[in-house]
Amino acid sequence: MEEKEISPAESLDIIKSMIDTAKNKLADDGFLIVFWGWLVFFAALINYTGVLLQTDAAYFVWPILMPLGGIISVIYSRRRAKKGIVRTYIDSYLGYSWTAFIIAMSVTLVCMPVHGMPTTYFFLMILYGMATLISGGILNFRPLIIGSLFSFVCAVASVFLGTSEQFLCLAGSVLFSYIIPGHLLRSQYKSQVNV
Amino acid sequence: MFKDLDPLLHSQLRLAVVSLLVSVKKAEFTYLKEQTKATAGNLSVQLQKLKDADYIEIEKSFKDNYPLTTCKITKTGIKAFEEYVKNLKQYINQ
Repeated sequence: MEEKEISPAESLDIIKSMIDTAKNKLADDGFLIVFWGWLVFFAALINYTGVLLQTDAAYFVWPILMPLGGIISVIYSRRRAKKGIVRTYIDSYLGYSWTAFIIAMSVTLVCMPVHGMPTTYFFLMILYGMATLISGGILNFRPLIIGSLFSFVCAVASVFLGTSEQFLCLAGSVLFSYIIPGHLLRSQYKSQVNV
Repeated sequence: MFKDLDPLLHSQLRLAVVSLLVSVKKAEFTYLKEQTKATAGNLSVQLQKLKDADYIEIEKSFKDNYPLTTCKITKTGIKAFEEYVKNLKQYINQ
């Protein structure tokens, strides 16, 4: 870009093109949404199978897979933050909403012995829905917004079902709110990067 | 009566930089260089002018042992940009 005399109309073009450049950068690659979606999906199904087979061993899938997922997420987020050469307001809003989600989820899990499993899974699905709805709104990504509604539906459905079926509700919740919209978000992000 | 356009912003590169910084929270020197397609030398000079006017903040640090320059718009910069756009409208609508 050279230094030269510019007209008011050219000024307006510069402003518009630069604002568009910053705005069109899709802030999220969807990796963590897809990753957690599959992790919770498999954990819920393993747990469901365990209940069907009447073995308590399957419950251990949570304290093993979830902290492992947490470690991988922290490593991934740190690497991504290092690579990023620009921090948009969208990055900041997403960061805060997911931090709030993680805190809310941890508090809910810590209180599980008091509230019992059914109430805990109900709240987890509500939180899943809330987090994806907020992210979908911030990113202006419709599949995430629509997908989030399934988590609310699954949460309500879980209240009327038995404990074992709650695992199926949980798997359904992450399938529609995380896995499907997450993969769509990833493919859109990749096509944007490849343009 | 048309108001004069802020000479500091009425420059192709400085205006591009400020427009970018208005849209993002903070940006690295590399990002600004990529988006504006300016040379490193020219960009450095223009950033310094914007910093001297207190329109932007420049933070120098290190990332993986390499020097890292990060830029962020200030409240004065946002106000100046808004004023510039307001005055620009008068010229466009004349």
